[in-house]
Amino acid sequence: MSDSIEKSFDQVAAFQKLWLDSFADMASIWSQFSPTSSPSDELRKMRGGMLKVLAETWDEYMRTPQFLQLMKASLSGMLDIKRMARDGLNRVHDQLENTSKQDVDDVLMAVRHVERRILDRLEGIEERVTNLDDRLETVDHRIARQETAIERLGQVVRTRAQKPAGTSRE
Amino acid sequence: MIRHLTFTDKMSSKTSPEKDTKTSDGVDWEAWQNSLLNETFANLMRLTSIPFLPDKMTHVRKGITPREIVYEEDRLKVYRYIGDAEPKFKTPLCFVFALVNRPYIVDLKEGRSIIAQLVKAGFDTYLIDWGIPTRAERFLTTDDYVNGYILNVVEHLRERTGSEKVNVMGYCMGGILATMFTAIHQDLVKNLIILATGIDFSTREGLINLWTDPRYFDVDKFVDTMGNIPAEFLQAAFLLIKPIDNLVDKNINLMENVHRDEFVDDFLYMETWLNDNTPVPGEVFREFAKYLFQQNLLVQNRMRLGRHMVDLRKITCPLLNLMARKDHLVPCSQSEPLNDLVSSTDKEKIIWPAGHIGLGVSSRAHKELWPRVTQWIGDRST
Repeated sequence: MSDSIEKSFDQVAAFQKLWLDSFADMASIWSQFSPTSSPSDELRKMRGGMLKVLAETWDEYMRTPQFLQLMKASLSGMLDIKRMARDGLNRVHDQLENTSKQDVDDVLMAVRHVERRILDRLEGIEERVTNLDDRLETVDHRIARQETAIERLGQVVRTRAQKPAGTSRE
Repeated sequence: MIRHLTFTDKMSSKTSPEKDTKTSDGVDWEAWQNSLLNETFANLMRLTSIPFLPDKMTHVRKGITPREIVYEEDRLKVYRYIGDAEPKFKTPLCFVFALVNRPYIVDLKEGRSIIAQLVKAGFDTYLIDWGIPTRAERFLTTDDYVNGYILNVVEHLRERTGSEKVNVMGYCMGGILATMFTAIHQDLVKNLIILATGIDFSTREGLINLWTDPRYFDVDKFVDTMGNIPAEFLQAAFLLIKPIDNLVDKNINLMENVHRDEFVDDFLYMETWLNDNTPVPGEVFREFAKYLFQQNLLVQNRMRLGRHMVDLRKITCPLLNLMARKDHLVPCSQSEPLNDLVSSTDKEKIIWPAGHIGLGVSSRAHKELWPRVTQWIGDRST
Protein backbone atom coordinates (compact mmCIF):
# COMPACT_ATOMS: atom_id res chain seq x y z
CA MET A 1 0.00 0.00 0.00
CA SER A 2 2.74 2.43 1.02
CA ASP A 3 4.63 1.46 -2.12
CA SER A 4 1.73 2.39 -4.35
CA ILE A 5 1.27 5.71 -2.50
CA GLU A 6 4.99 6.40 -2.92
CA LYS A 7 4.74 5.51 -6.60
CA SER A 8 1.78 7.83 -7.04
CA PHE A 9 3.66 10.63 -5.31
CA ASP A 10 6.65 10.03 -7.55
CA GLN A 11 4.43 10.23 -10.59
CA VAL A 12 2.82 13.45 -9.40
CA ALA A 13 6.25 14.88 -8.61
CA ALA A 14 7.53 13.95 -12.08
CA PHE A 15 4.45 15.51 -13.68
CA GLN A 16 4.85 18.64 -11.57
CA LYS A 17 8.56 18.92 -12.35
CA LEU A 18 7.97 18.59 -16.10
CA TRP A 19 5.46 21.41 -16.18
CA LEU A 20 7.21 23.63 -13.65
CA ASP A 21 10.39 23.37 -15.69
CA SER A 22 8.38 24.22 -18.76
CA PHE A 23 6.88 27.33 -17.11
CA ALA A 24 10.32 28.35 -15.87
CA ASP A 25 11.69 28.00 -19.41
CA MET A 26 8.80 30.05 -20.76
CA ALA A 27 9.44 32.75 -18.18
CA SER A 28 13.12 32.78 -19.07
CA ILE A 29 12.17 33.55 -22.67
CA TRP A 30 10.89 36.92 -21.45
CA SER A 31 14.26 37.73 -19.92
CA GLN A 32 15.58 37.88 -23.49
CA PHE A 33 13.19 40.71 -24.29
CA SER A 34 15.14 43.54 -25.85
CA PRO A 35 13.55 46.98 -25.95
CA THR A 36 15.96 48.06 -28.68
CA SER A 37 14.03 46.12 -31.32
CA SER A 38 10.53 46.95 -32.44
CA PRO A 39 7.84 45.64 -30.11
CA SER A 40 6.01 43.58 -32.72
CA ASP A 41 9.20 41.72 -33.67
CA GLU A 42 10.06 41.18 -30.05
CA LEU A 43 6.61 39.92 -29.19
CA ARG A 44 6.73 37.54 -32.13
CA LYS A 45 10.10 36.27 -30.94
CA MET A 46 8.78 35.81 -27.39
CA ARG A 47 5.68 34.04 -28.66
CA GLY A 48 7.73 31.75 -30.88
CA GLY A 49 10.03 30.90 -27.98
CA MET A 50 7.15 30.19 -25.62
CA LEU A 51 5.32 27.98 -28.11
CA LYS A 52 8.53 26.08 -28.81
CA VAL A 53 9.00 25.36 -25.10
CA LEU A 54 5.35 24.38 -24.79
CA ALA A 55 5.57 22.07 -27.83
CA GLU A 56 8.68 20.37 -26.46
CA THR A 57 7.03 19.89 -23.07
CA TRP A 58 3.90 18.41 -24.65
CA ASP A 59 6.00 16.07 -26.73
CA GLU A 60 7.90 14.97 -23.64
CA TYR A 61 4.67 14.61 -21.67
CA MET A 62 3.02 12.50 -24.37
CA ARG A 63 5.88 10.04 -24.07
CA THR A 64 5.53 9.58 -20.31
CA PRO A 65 4.00 6.36 -18.92
CA GLN A 66 1.48 8.58 -17.09
CA PHE A 67 0.11 9.98 -20.33
CA LEU A 68 0.14 6.57 -22.00
CA GLN A 69 -1.76 5.05 -19.07
CA LEU A 70 -4.23 7.91 -19.19
CA MET A 71 -4.68 7.40 -22.92
CA LYS A 72 -5.19 3.66 -22.42
CA ALA A 73 -7.72 4.18 -19.62
CA SER A 74 -9.74 6.82 -21.51
CA LEU A 75 -9.75 4.81 -24.74
CA SER A 76 -10.75 1.66 -22.91
CA GLY A 77 -13.52 3.52 -21.09
CA MET A 78 -14.78 4.98 -24.35
CA LEU A 79 -14.80 1.54 -26.00
CA ASP A 80 -16.62 0.00 -23.04
CA ILE A 81 -19.34 2.64 -23.23
CA LYS A 82 -19.67 2.15 -26.98
CA ARG A 83 -19.85 -1.60 -26.59
CA MET A 84 -22.47 -1.36 -23.83
CA ALA A 85 -24.56 1.02 -25.90
CA ARG A 86 -24.28 -1.27 -28.92
CA ASP A 87 -25.23 -4.36 -26.90
CA GLY A 88 -28.26 -2.52 -25.55
CA LEU A 89 -29.30 -1.41 -29.03
CA ASN A 90 -28.78 -4.92 -30.35
CA ARG A 91 -31.20 -6.24 -27.73
CA VAL A 92 -33.75 -3.59 -28.67
CA HIS A 93 -33.39 -4.43 -32.36
CA ASP A 94 -33.68 -8.11 -31.52
CA GLN A 95 -36.91 -7.57 -29.62
CA LEU A 96 -38.33 -5.42 -32.40
CA GLU A 97 -37.10 -7.91 -34.98
CA ASN A 98 -35.17 -5.19 -36.76
CA THR A 99 -31.75 -5.44 -38.37
CA SER A 100 -28.93 -4.22 -36.15
CA LYS A 101 -25.36 -3.22 -37.06
CA GLN A 102 -24.27 -6.50 -35.55
CA ASP A 103 -26.54 -8.39 -37.95
CA VAL A 104 -25.13 -6.48 -40.92
CA ASP A 105 -21.58 -7.23 -39.73
CA ASP A 106 -22.46 -10.89 -39.28
CA VAL A 107 -23.85 -11.09 -42.82
CA LEU A 108 -20.77 -9.32 -44.17
CA MET A 109 -18.56 -11.72 -42.25
CA ALA A 110 -20.47 -14.72 -43.64
CA VAL A 111 -20.19 -13.33 -47.19
CA ARG A 112 -16.53 -12.72 -46.57
CA HIS A 113 -15.96 -16.31 -45.46
CA VAL A 114 -17.80 -17.68 -48.47
CA GLU A 115 -15.86 -15.30 -50.74
CA ARG A 116 -12.58 -16.38 -49.14
CA ARG A 117 -13.43 -20.06 -49.59
CA ILE A 118 -14.41 -19.52 -53.24
CA LEU A 119 -11.26 -17.47 -53.89
CA ASP A 120 -9.11 -20.15 -52.25
CA ARG A 121 -10.78 -22.81 -54.38
CA LEU A 122 -10.34 -20.66 -57.51
CA GLU A 123 -6.68 -20.06 -56.70
CA GLY A 124 -6.27 -23.82 -56.18
CA ILE A 125 -7.94 -24.50 -59.52
CA GLU A 126 -5.80 -21.80 -61.16
CA GLU A 127 -2.69 -23.48 -59.79
CA ARG A 128 -3.85 -26.87 -61.03
CA VAL A 129 -4.65 -25.46 -64.47
CA THR A 130 -1.19 -23.84 -64.59
CA ASN A 131 0.37 -27.18 -63.63
CA LEU A 132 -1.70 -28.98 -66.25
CA ASP A 133 -0.69 -26.35 -68.82
CA ASP A 134 2.96 -26.93 -67.95
CA ARG A 135 2.50 -30.69 -68.21
CA LEU A 136 0.62 -30.38 -71.49
CA GLU A 137 3.41 -28.21 -72.82
CA THR A 138 5.93 -30.87 -71.82
CA VAL A 139 3.80 -33.58 -73.46
CA ASP A 140 3.39 -31.38 -76.58
CA HIS A 141 7.17 -30.96 -76.75
CA ARG A 142 7.63 -34.68 -76.33
CA ILE A 143 5.06 -35.42 -79.04
CA ALA A 144 6.68 -32.85 -81.34
CA ARG A 145 10.09 -34.44 -80.73
CA GLN A 146 8.64 -37.90 -81.36
CA GLU A 147 6.92 -36.69 -84.55
CA THR A 148 10.19 -35.18 -85.75
CA ALA A 149 11.93 -38.45 -84.94
CA ILE A 150 9.24 -40.45 -86.75
CA GLU A 151 9.47 -38.08 -89.70
CA ARG A 152 13.23 -38.54 -89.85
CA LEU A 153 12.86 -42.28 -89.45
CA GLY A 154 10.33 -42.25 -92.28
CA GLN A 155 12.76 -40.34 -94.48
CA VAL A 156 15.53 -42.79 -93.67
CA VAL A 157 13.25 -45.73 -94.47
CA ARG A 158 12.14 -44.07 -97.70
CA THR A 159 15.74 -43.35 -98.70
CA ARG A 160 16.75 -46.91 -97.96
CA ALA A 161 13.77 -48.24 -99.87
CA GLN A 162 14.62 -46.07 -102.88
CA LYS A 163 18.31 -47.08 -102.90
CA PRO A 164 17.84 -50.82 -103.69
CA ALA A 165 15.26 -49.93 -106.36
CA GLY A 166 17.79 -47.67 -108.05
CA THR A 167 20.45 -50.35 -107.82
CA SER A 168 18.14 -52.98 -109.37
CA ARG A 169 17.39 -50.65 -112.34
CA GLU A 170 21.10 -50.34 -112.88
CA MET B 1 13.39 59.95 -20.28
CA ILE B 2 10.61 58.92 -22.56
CA ARG B 3 10.38 60.97 -25.65
CA HIS B 4 6.85 61.17 -27.03
CA LEU B 5 6.61 61.79 -30.76
CA THR B 6 3.56 63.05 -32.51
CA PHE B 7 2.74 61.75 -35.97
CA THR B 8 3.94 65.11 -37.40
CA ASP B 9 7.23 64.67 -35.52
CA LYS B 10 7.58 61.23 -36.96
CA MET B 11 6.97 62.47 -40.47
CA SER B 12 9.44 65.31 -40.01
CA SER B 13 12.05 62.87 -38.72
CA LYS B 14 11.87 61.12 -42.08
CA THR B 15 13.11 64.26 -43.79
CA SER B 16 16.10 64.47 -41.45
CA PRO B 17 17.45 60.91 -41.10
CA GLU B 18 20.52 62.01 -39.21
CA LYS B 19 18.35 63.07 -36.30
CA ASP B 20 19.13 60.83 -33.31
CA THR B 21 15.89 59.43 -31.95
CA LYS B 22 17.43 57.17 -29.35
CA THR B 23 17.08 57.96 -25.68
CA SER B 24 19.80 57.56 -23.12
CA ASP B 25 18.65 53.98 -22.34
CA GLY B 26 19.32 52.98 -25.97
CA VAL B 27 15.66 52.57 -26.89
CA ASP B 28 14.63 53.89 -30.26
CA TRP B 29 11.16 55.12 -29.43
CA GLU B 30 10.54 56.36 -32.94
CA ALA B 31 11.12 52.84 -34.25
CA TRP B 32 8.66 51.65 -31.62
CA GLN B 33 6.08 54.13 -32.77
CA ASN B 34 6.69 53.23 -36.41
CA SER B 35 6.38 49.57 -35.62
CA LEU B 36 3.12 50.06 -33.72
CA LEU B 37 1.75 52.13 -36.56
CA ASN B 38 2.76 49.50 -39.13
CA GLU B 39 1.29 46.75 -37.01
CA THR B 40 -1.96 48.68 -36.68
CA PHE B 41 -2.20 49.09 -40.45
CA ALA B 42 -1.32 45.42 -40.96
CA ASN B 43 -4.02 44.44 -38.46
CA LEU B 44 -6.55 46.52 -40.34
CA MET B 45 -5.57 44.75 -43.56
CA ARG B 46 -5.84 41.40 -41.79
CA LEU B 47 -9.29 42.24 -40.47
CA THR B 48 -10.54 43.33 -43.85
CA SER B 49 -9.18 40.12 -45.44
CA ILE B 50 -10.99 37.72 -43.10
CA PRO B 51 -14.46 38.07 -44.71
CA PHE B 52 -12.97 36.85 -48.02
CA LEU B 53 -11.73 33.57 -46.53
CA PRO B 54 -14.94 31.53 -47.02
CA ASP B 55 -15.08 32.56 -50.67
CA LYS B 56 -11.45 31.55 -51.19
CA MET B 57 -12.20 28.20 -49.56
CA THR B 58 -14.80 27.44 -52.19
CA HIS B 59 -12.18 27.85 -54.93
CA VAL B 60 -9.87 25.16 -53.59
CA ARG B 61 -9.46 22.45 -56.25
CA LYS B 62 -8.81 18.82 -55.48
CA GLY B 63 -6.26 17.93 -58.14
CA ILE B 64 -5.13 20.08 -61.04
CA THR B 65 -3.71 17.85 -63.79
CA PRO B 66 -6.24 16.73 -66.43
CA ARG B 67 -7.14 13.08 -65.96
CA GLU B 68 -9.41 10.27 -67.08
CA ILE B 69 -10.69 7.20 -65.27
CA VAL B 70 -9.26 4.07 -66.88
CA TYR B 71 -10.18 1.37 -64.38
CA GLU B 72 -12.80 0.92 -61.68
CA GLU B 73 -13.33 -1.86 -59.19
CA ASP B 74 -15.64 -1.62 -56.17
CA ARG B 75 -14.80 1.83 -54.72
CA LEU B 76 -11.40 2.00 -56.36
CA LYS B 77 -10.73 4.25 -59.33
CA VAL B 78 -7.54 4.51 -61.37
CA TYR B 79 -6.82 7.86 -62.96
CA ARG B 80 -4.60 8.32 -65.96
CA TYR B 81 -3.07 11.78 -66.16
CA ILE B 82 -3.01 13.51 -69.51
CA GLY B 83 0.00 15.60 -70.45
CA ASP B 84 0.58 18.04 -73.30
CA ALA B 85 2.58 15.45 -75.23
CA GLU B 86 2.53 11.66 -75.59
CA PRO B 87 4.40 9.80 -72.83
CA LYS B 88 8.11 9.41 -73.55
CA PHE B 89 8.47 6.15 -71.63
CA LYS B 90 6.59 2.96 -72.36
CA THR B 91 6.72 1.64 -68.79
CA PRO B 92 3.66 3.02 -66.97
CA LEU B 93 4.01 4.50 -63.51
CA CYS B 94 1.45 3.50 -60.92
CA PHE B 95 1.09 5.71 -57.84
CA VAL B 96 -0.21 3.88 -54.77
CA PHE B 97 -1.55 6.22 -52.12
CA ALA B 98 -2.31 5.63 -48.44
CA LEU B 99 -5.69 4.50 -47.18
CA VAL B 100 -5.98 7.21 -44.54
CA ASN B 101 -6.20 10.32 -46.74
CA ARG B 102 -7.45 11.36 -50.14
CA PRO B 103 -4.77 11.10 -52.84
CA TYR B 104 -4.99 14.61 -54.33
CA ILE B 105 -2.08 15.79 -52.17
CA VAL B 106 0.18 14.41 -54.92
CA ASP B 107 -1.52 16.74 -57.40
CA LEU B 108 -2.14 19.62 -55.01
CA LYS B 109 -1.70 22.81 -57.05
CA GLU B 110 0.44 24.46 -59.71
CA GLY B 111 4.11 24.14 -58.82
CA ARG B 112 3.32 21.71 -55.99
CA SER B 113 2.22 18.63 -57.92
CA ILE B 114 4.23 15.40 -58.05
CA ILE B 115 1.86 14.12 -60.73
CA ALA B 116 2.50 17.19 -62.91
CA GLN B 117 6.26 16.65 -62.53
CA LEU B 118 5.95 13.01 -63.60
CA VAL B 119 3.68 13.79 -66.54
CA LYS B 120 5.98 16.62 -67.66
CA ALA B 121 8.95 14.26 -67.51
CA GLY B 122 7.17 11.96 -69.97
CA PHE B 123 5.79 9.19 -67.74
CA ASP B 124 2.48 7.52 -68.44
CA THR B 125 1.21 8.22 -64.94
CA TYR B 126 -1.63 6.46 -63.11
CA LEU B 127 -2.94 7.01 -59.61
CA ILE B 128 -4.97 4.65 -57.48
CA ASP B 129 -7.77 6.40 -55.63
CA TRP B 130 -9.05 3.93 -53.03
CA GLY B 131 -12.32 5.80 -52.53
CA ILE B 132 -14.05 6.07 -49.17
CA PRO B 133 -14.65 2.70 -47.51
CA THR B 134 -18.05 1.94 -46.07
CA ARG B 135 -19.16 -0.80 -43.71
CA ALA B 136 -19.13 -3.16 -46.68
CA GLU B 137 -15.31 -2.89 -46.64
CA ARG B 138 -15.10 -3.61 -42.92
CA PHE B 139 -13.56 -7.05 -43.42
CA LEU B 140 -11.21 -6.25 -46.31
CA THR B 141 -7.66 -7.21 -45.43
CA THR B 142 -4.24 -6.02 -46.57
CA ASP B 143 -4.15 -9.14 -48.74
CA ASP B 144 -7.23 -7.89 -50.60
CA TYR B 145 -5.52 -4.58 -51.28
CA VAL B 146 -2.10 -5.95 -52.26
CA ASN B 147 -2.92 -9.24 -53.98
CA GLY B 148 -6.36 -8.14 -55.08
CA TYR B 149 -6.75 -4.50 -56.02
CA ILE B 150 -3.13 -3.52 -56.73
CA LEU B 151 -2.48 -6.73 -58.65
CA ASN B 152 -5.62 -6.19 -60.74
CA VAL B 153 -4.61 -2.59 -61.47
CA VAL B 154 -1.09 -3.60 -62.47
CA GLU B 155 -2.43 -6.38 -64.70
CA HIS B 156 -4.78 -3.86 -66.30
CA LEU B 157 -1.92 -1.41 -66.90
CA ARG B 158 0.24 -4.14 -68.44
CA GLU B 159 -2.56 -5.11 -70.77
CA ARG B 160 -3.38 -1.50 -71.59
CA THR B 161 0.15 -0.32 -72.30
CA GLY B 162 1.68 -3.54 -73.58
CA SER B 163 4.50 -3.12 -71.11
CA GLU B 164 5.70 -6.21 -69.29
CA LYS B 165 6.46 -4.34 -66.10
CA VAL B 166 5.21 -1.30 -64.21
CA ASN B 167 6.99 1.37 -62.15
CA VAL B 168 5.41 1.42 -58.69
CA MET B 169 5.51 4.51 -56.49
CA GLY B 170 4.04 4.60 -52.97
CA TYR B 171 3.57 7.37 -50.42
CA CYS B 172 3.46 6.70 -46.66
CA MET B 173 1.08 3.78 -46.04
CA GLY B 174 0.84 3.42 -49.82
CA GLY B 175 4.60 2.89 -49.79
CA ILE B 176 4.15 -0.06 -47.44
CA LEU B 177 1.51 -1.54 -49.75
CA ALA B 178 3.78 -0.92 -52.76
CA THR B 179 6.74 -2.57 -51.00
CA MET B 180 4.65 -5.61 -50.04
CA PHE B 181 3.34 -5.86 -53.60
CA THR B 182 6.86 -5.71 -55.05
CA ALA B 183 8.10 -8.36 -52.64
CA ILE B 184 5.33 -10.74 -53.72
CA HIS B 185 5.12 -9.84 -57.42
CA GLN B 186 8.68 -8.76 -58.24
CA ASP B 187 8.31 -10.05 -61.80
CA LEU B 188 5.74 -7.31 -62.49
CA VAL B 189 7.68 -4.34 -61.07
CA LYS B 190 10.33 -2.43 -62.99
CA ASN B 191 11.30 0.15 -60.35
CA LEU B 192 10.09 0.74 -56.81
CA ILE B 193 9.97 4.30 -55.51
CA ILE B 194 8.75 4.97 -51.99
CA LEU B 195 8.19 8.22 -50.14
CA ALA B 196 8.12 8.60 -46.35
CA THR B 197 7.41 4.93 -45.86
CA GLY B 198 7.80 3.17 -42.52
CA ILE B 199 9.29 -0.31 -42.73
CA ASP B 200 11.05 -0.92 -39.41
CA PHE B 201 8.67 -0.19 -36.54
CA SER B 202 11.06 -1.09 -33.73
CA THR B 203 12.02 2.55 -33.30
CA ARG B 204 10.23 4.57 -30.61
CA GLU B 205 11.15 7.93 -32.13
CA GLY B 206 7.69 8.56 -33.55
CA LEU B 207 4.78 9.06 -31.18
CA ILE B 208 2.47 6.77 -33.17
CA ASN B 209 4.84 3.86 -32.53
CA LEU B 210 4.74 4.64 -28.83
CA TRP B 211 0.98 5.01 -28.68
CA THR B 212 0.40 1.69 -30.42
CA ASP B 213 2.62 -0.17 -27.94
CA PRO B 214 0.72 -3.34 -26.92
CA ARG B 215 1.00 -2.33 -23.23
CA TYR B 216 -1.14 0.74 -23.91
CA PHE B 217 -3.22 -0.10 -26.96
CA ASP B 218 -5.53 -3.10 -27.31
CA VAL B 219 -5.91 -3.34 -31.09
CA ASP B 220 -8.40 -6.20 -31.06
CA LYS B 221 -10.75 -4.53 -28.61
CA PHE B 222 -10.50 -1.31 -30.58
CA VAL B 223 -11.25 -2.83 -34.00
CA ASP B 224 -13.90 -5.22 -32.71
CA THR B 225 -15.75 -2.30 -31.15
CA MET B 226 -15.24 0.35 -33.79
CA GLY B 227 -15.40 -1.67 -37.02
CA ASN B 228 -13.91 0.68 -39.59
CA ILE B 229 -11.59 3.20 -37.95
CA PRO B 230 -13.35 6.58 -38.14
CA ALA B 231 -11.65 9.40 -40.00
CA GLU B 232 -12.18 11.68 -36.99
CA PHE B 233 -10.17 9.35 -34.77
CA LEU B 234 -7.26 9.32 -37.20
CA GLN B 235 -7.48 13.07 -37.64
CA ALA B 236 -7.38 13.59 -33.87
CA ALA B 237 -4.37 11.29 -33.55
CA PHE B 238 -2.48 13.16 -36.27
CA LEU B 239 -3.30 16.52 -34.67
CA LEU B 240 -2.20 15.29 -31.27
CA ILE B 241 1.25 14.38 -32.51
CA LYS B 242 2.08 18.08 -32.67
CA PRO B 243 -0.72 19.79 -30.74
CA ILE B 244 0.92 23.19 -30.33
CA ASP B 245 1.98 23.41 -33.98
CA ASN B 246 -1.32 22.10 -35.32
CA LEU B 247 -3.77 23.84 -33.02
CA VAL B 248 -2.06 27.05 -31.97
CA ASP B 249 0.94 28.07 -34.06
CA LYS B 250 -0.67 27.29 -37.40
CA ASN B 251 -3.74 29.40 -36.67
CA ILE B 252 -1.69 32.32 -35.37
CA ASN B 253 0.36 32.16 -38.57
CA LEU B 254 -2.82 32.24 -40.61
CA MET B 255 -4.08 35.31 -38.78
CA GLU B 256 -0.73 37.05 -39.23
CA ASN B 257 -0.66 36.33 -42.96
CA VAL B 258 -4.33 36.37 -43.78
CA HIS B 259 -3.83 39.43 -45.99
CA ARG B 260 -1.21 37.65 -48.13
CA ASP B 261 -2.97 35.88 -50.98
CA GLU B 262 -0.23 33.34 -51.71
CA PHE B 263 0.02 32.28 -48.07
CA VAL B 264 -3.75 31.93 -47.71
CA ASP B 265 -3.94 29.96 -50.94
CA ASP B 266 -1.28 27.47 -49.78
CA PHE B 267 -2.87 27.29 -46.34
CA LEU B 268 -6.35 26.55 -47.66
CA TYR B 269 -5.16 23.90 -50.11
CA MET B 270 -3.19 22.15 -47.37
CA GLU B 271 -5.92 22.40 -44.75
CA THR B 272 -8.56 21.12 -47.14
CA TRP B 273 -6.48 18.03 -47.72
CA LEU B 274 -5.43 17.59 -44.07
CA ASN B 275 -9.05 17.61 -42.96
CA ASP B 276 -10.12 15.25 -45.70
CA ASN B 277 -9.34 11.98 -43.89
CA THR B 278 -11.06 8.75 -44.77
CA PRO B 279 -11.97 5.83 -42.52
CA VAL B 280 -9.66 2.83 -42.65
CA PRO B 281 -11.13 -0.68 -43.09
CA GLY B 282 -11.06 -2.30 -39.66
CA GLU B 283 -9.13 -5.44 -40.61
CA VAL B 284 -6.45 -3.48 -42.46
CA PHE B 285 -6.01 -1.28 -39.39
CA ARG B 286 -5.80 -4.39 -37.20
CA GLU B 287 -3.10 -5.92 -39.40
CA PHE B 288 -1.07 -2.72 -39.64
CA ALA B 289 -1.27 -1.97 -35.91
CA LYS B 290 -0.71 -5.52 -34.74
CA TYR B 291 1.68 -7.04 -37.24
CA LEU B 292 3.65 -3.95 -38.21
CA PHE B 293 3.58 -1.46 -35.33
CA GLN B 294 3.44 -4.01 -32.52
CA GLN B 295 5.16 -7.13 -33.84
CA ASN B 296 7.31 -5.56 -36.56
CA LEU B 297 6.89 -8.60 -38.83
CA LEU B 298 7.77 -6.88 -42.11
CA VAL B 299 11.49 -6.50 -41.40
CA GLN B 300 11.58 -10.08 -40.14
CA ASN B 301 10.12 -11.30 -43.45
CA ARG B 302 7.30 -12.93 -41.48
CA MET B 303 4.38 -10.76 -42.61
CA ARG B 304 1.73 -13.01 -44.11
CA LEU B 305 -0.73 -11.75 -46.71
CA GLY B 306 -3.25 -14.47 -47.52
CA ARG B 307 -1.27 -17.34 -48.98
CA HIS B 308 1.84 -15.23 -49.49
CA MET B 309 4.66 -14.46 -47.10
CA VAL B 310 6.17 -11.00 -47.66
CA ASP B 311 9.89 -11.55 -48.02
CA LEU B 312 11.69 -8.26 -48.61
CA ARG B 313 14.73 -10.17 -49.86
CA LYS B 314 12.73 -11.01 -52.97
CA ILE B 315 12.84 -7.36 -54.06
CA THR B 316 15.51 -7.20 -56.73
CA CYS B 317 14.42 -4.23 -58.85
CA PRO B 318 15.98 -0.76 -58.56
CA LEU B 319 14.79 0.97 -55.39
CA LEU B 320 14.57 4.68 -54.59
CA ASN B 321 13.79 5.41 -50.94
CA LEU B 322 12.80 9.03 -50.29
CA MET B 323 12.70 10.21 -46.68
CA ALA B 324 11.98 13.49 -44.94
CA ARG B 325 14.44 14.58 -42.27
CA LYS B 326 11.82 16.46 -40.22
CA ASP B 327 9.16 13.78 -40.60
CA HIS B 328 7.38 13.47 -37.24
CA LEU B 329 5.01 10.79 -38.53
CA VAL B 330 7.50 8.43 -40.18
CA PRO B 331 10.99 9.19 -38.88
CA CYS B 332 13.89 8.36 -41.21
CA SER B 333 15.04 5.64 -38.80
CA GLN B 334 11.83 3.82 -39.69
CA SER B 335 12.39 3.98 -43.48
CA GLU B 336 16.15 3.74 -43.87
CA PRO B 337 16.55 0.00 -43.06
CA LEU B 338 14.66 -1.02 -46.22
CA ASN B 339 17.71 -0.45 -48.40
CA ASP B 340 19.60 -3.09 -46.40
CA LEU B 341 16.72 -5.56 -46.38
CA VAL B 342 16.18 -5.90 -50.13
CA SER B 343 18.34 -7.81 -52.62
CA SER B 344 18.42 -4.98 -55.17
CA THR B 345 21.87 -3.99 -56.29
CA ASP B 346 20.66 -0.68 -57.70
CA LYS B 347 19.28 1.17 -54.68
CA GLU B 348 19.43 4.74 -53.51
CA LYS B 349 18.10 6.78 -50.63
CA ILE B 350 17.55 10.49 -50.41
CA ILE B 351 16.92 12.25 -47.11
CA TRP B 352 15.31 15.58 -47.90
CA PRO B 353 15.17 18.46 -45.40
CA ALA B 354 11.38 18.66 -45.12
CA GLY B 355 8.44 17.23 -43.20
CA HIS B 356 6.17 14.31 -44.04
CA ILE B 357 4.05 16.35 -46.42
CA GLY B 358 6.71 18.89 -47.38
CA LEU B 359 8.52 16.06 -49.17
CA GLY B 360 5.72 16.03 -51.71
CA VAL B 361 4.50 19.60 -51.78
CA SER B 362 7.23 22.05 -50.75
CA SER B 363 8.32 24.42 -53.49
CA ARG B 364 11.98 23.61 -52.81
CA ALA B 365 11.33 19.89 -53.24
CA HIS B 366 9.66 20.63 -56.56
CA LYS B 367 12.59 22.73 -57.72
CA GLU B 368 15.39 20.42 -56.61
CA LEU B 369 14.21 16.98 -55.47
CA TRP B 370 11.53 15.97 -57.97
CA PRO B 371 13.55 16.70 -61.14
CA ARG B 372 16.19 14.41 -59.60
CA VAL B 373 13.59 11.72 -58.89
CA THR B 374 12.10 11.84 -62.40
CA GLN B 375 15.63 11.63 -63.83
CA TRP B 376 16.31 8.55 -61.68
CA ILE B 377 13.15 6.78 -62.84
CA GLY B 378 13.71 7.86 -66.46
CA ASP B 379 17.21 6.37 -66.47
CA ARG B 380 15.70 3.04 -65.47
CA SER B 381 12.61 3.03 -67.67
CA THR B 382 12.06 2.04 -71.26
